[in-house]
This record gives sequence, structure tokens and C-alpha cells, in this order.
Amino acid sequence: MVRLITHNLLACHAKGCTSNNFPLRFSNVKLALREADFNPDFIRGFLPRIEWDALVQASREIGDTSLPPERPEMLDDDFLKQLHHVLLEIHVDEGSMTCPNCEHVYPISSGIPNMLLAEHEIR
Amino acid sequence: MATLGHAKVITTVVDDDPAAYEQRYVHEVYDRIAYHFSSTRYKPWPLVSKFLFNIPTGWVGLDSGTGNGKYLPLPTDNPGRIWTVGLDRSPNLLSLARTAGVVRGDVLEGGWRRGAFDYAISIATLHHLATVDRRVTVVKRLFESVSPRHGRILIYVWASTDGQDVFVPWVLQVSTATDGVRHEASRTNEDRDVRTDARTCQIGTEAAQQMGLKVSPRLAEAEGVEEAEGKEGIEIIASGWERSNYYIELWRWQK
Repeated sequence: MVRLITHNLLACHAKGCTSNNFPLRFSNVKLALREADFNPDFIRGFLPRIEWDALVQASREIGDTSLPPERPEMLDDDFLKQLHHVLLEIHVDEGSMTCPNCEHVYPISSGIPNMLLAEHEIR
Repeated sequence: MATLGHAKVITTVVDDDPAAYEQRYVHEVYDRIAYHFSSTRYKPWPLVSKFLFNIPTGWVGLDSGTGNGKYLPLPTDNPGRIWTVGLDRSPNLLSLARTAGVVRGDVLEGGWRRGAFDYAISIATLHHLATVDRRVTVVKRLFESVSPRHGRILIYVWASTDGQDVFVPWVLQVSTATDGVRHEASRTNEDRDVRTDARTCQIGTEAAQQMGLKVSPRLAEAEGVEEAEGKEGIEIIASGWERSNYYIELWRWQK
């Protein structure tokens, strides 16, 4: 399912598209909120691995403005819970993701993003 | 054709287009048998569970060729301590894994930020690829997907001729050496030990070399042995057999 945690790891891989190839831009999204178990240790450990700017941009594209523009240094429980919500509880069930560089479109259907390329697009 | 007990091992001839071959004998078959396959594949291999158990909290990983996603919820003792994304080509298998994070895609391609993951696993997937070159490509994609500093990789190769799986046999690389004839490997119980592990190691080594990575321990363990040359490489942490599977664990390192 496309949640922002997954989206934060994705990049365009079309032939020749090797720079400025993430974050993929969301459009025409249909969202669903689904509760997930909160594991603060995971969120704390994952935080330094996040591409923060990409996460902030993507969350705003799908209408969540709760994250600060800079990665915070003080990690209180409220912030970890909020980050957990943004990363793991907002589901993009339908829509598409567009590469900011080559504008290749990756569709999302029934919650599954399709990253397959046509044969001529494979590097 | 070799004989293995009462079962016949058929040497399959891979046609000229390995992608078409895989489409017909792997992707279409899995899509058709997804539900049945899934109902028979619920127990994780112990070594895979152990590998995931040892992953530090907060790490994220890739399960390349995840099928029905049975490894995604692990470790069971503390679910959610790590987070694994599943990649597979079969939409029907993925639909069975929908409670987890899954992506439709090809193990030969990418789709990730380079080094985005902390670990990657490839379980009983490599044998579905029809040529050695394609298997090397899959391993390169695994190497690329993980952190060059600390990425950990577990590859598990199914190496039994019995049991129900969609099976593309190991095929020796087209011979460029003596006779120019394409050699096909027939598999028997006797040849599996020597061949599968040697080939899996070769595939790992070949993938590393193509990426300019040195295959050696990061640090010399014994005195008098020089430390590895080079700025980055791959260390083989463990390898061996678990039932009918050969496994190899590799860690990336960078100085």
C-alpha cells in the first residue's frame, strides 16, 4: 500500500532518469486513514533515514500540513506520534505519482503502486 | 534428462528471449496459482527469521520477490520494530499481502532511491530468472538498494528438484570458452551441493565486481593479514544450507 513511508523510498527509474528523480509528485489521490500500531522506537530509529524535505512535500501534496519544514531535534512523544501518523496511517488508495524530472507517471491502484516500466523505458 | 530417484528432472531449454520465458513459466503461473501458492507458503524459513530478528530497530528493508509477503510482518516478537517493503511482479500475490507495504515491480529493475534501504532479502526468487546474467542483475539491484555503509543482504536460493514451485533450472552461462556450444545444466541431488553454492557465490561476486565493489572482509581478523584494499566492498558474513536452500548473507562496507 502506498503510505508516505513507502513513498519516501521510491524514485523514478526510467531509462536515463538518474537525478532529481524523487520525490514523485502525487496527483488525483484518493486517501484512507487506517490506524496502525505506534512503535516509538521504530520512529526514532527511522527518523535519521528519512528524506525529510521529500516527506514534507509529499505530505502537503496529499493535504497534511502537520510536519515542520525542518527535521526537529527535540523528539517528544507528541511529535513521534504525529510522524507515525503521517508515515504509516495515511493510505493513498488510488492516484498517481509523477517523476519531477522526466514526468513518467506511476499509477496507484487498489493501494498498490505500479513501478513497472515498459520495455523501452528500462535502463 | 537425469533421473532423481523416481522423479525425472527435465532439462529445460531456455529460449532466446529470457523475459518471454519468465513471463510464460513464472509470472503467468504465479498469477494463476496465487491463492493456492499462498495457502501453502505461510511458514517463514528459520534463517530468514533469524536474519530479520538481528536487524537493528528503526531499519527499513526490501523483500525483493516478496510473493504473498510472508516475511513482511517479521520479527514476530516485536512487530513494527523494523519495516520491510515487498516487491513483486504478480498483482494477485501482492493482493494477498495488502496489509503490509507492497509495490508492484520487477526484481530486475529499480524504483528506489539508491541506498534507500538498510537491508534487503531475496528469498527463493533468484532461481526464477532464466539466465545467469539476469541473476547477476537481480543481485546488483539488491546491492544498489541498500546503504553502501551498512547495508545487509540475505539471498536464499531454492535448490531442490522436488516440491511444488515454479522452477527455472540453473543454466550455465553460454560458453564463450572452448566449443562455443551452449551448455545446459541438468540437476541431480549429487550436483546440487557443489553447483548451487558455487554458482550463488559466483553470482554475488560477479555482481559486486561489475559495481566496482571488492569482495573481502572489511577488517582483517587475524594478525598478519592485511586489511582490505579499496574504499568499498562486500563481506560474505555467512553461507550454507538450510534444508533444500542455499543461503548467503552479505554486508556492504565503506571506509
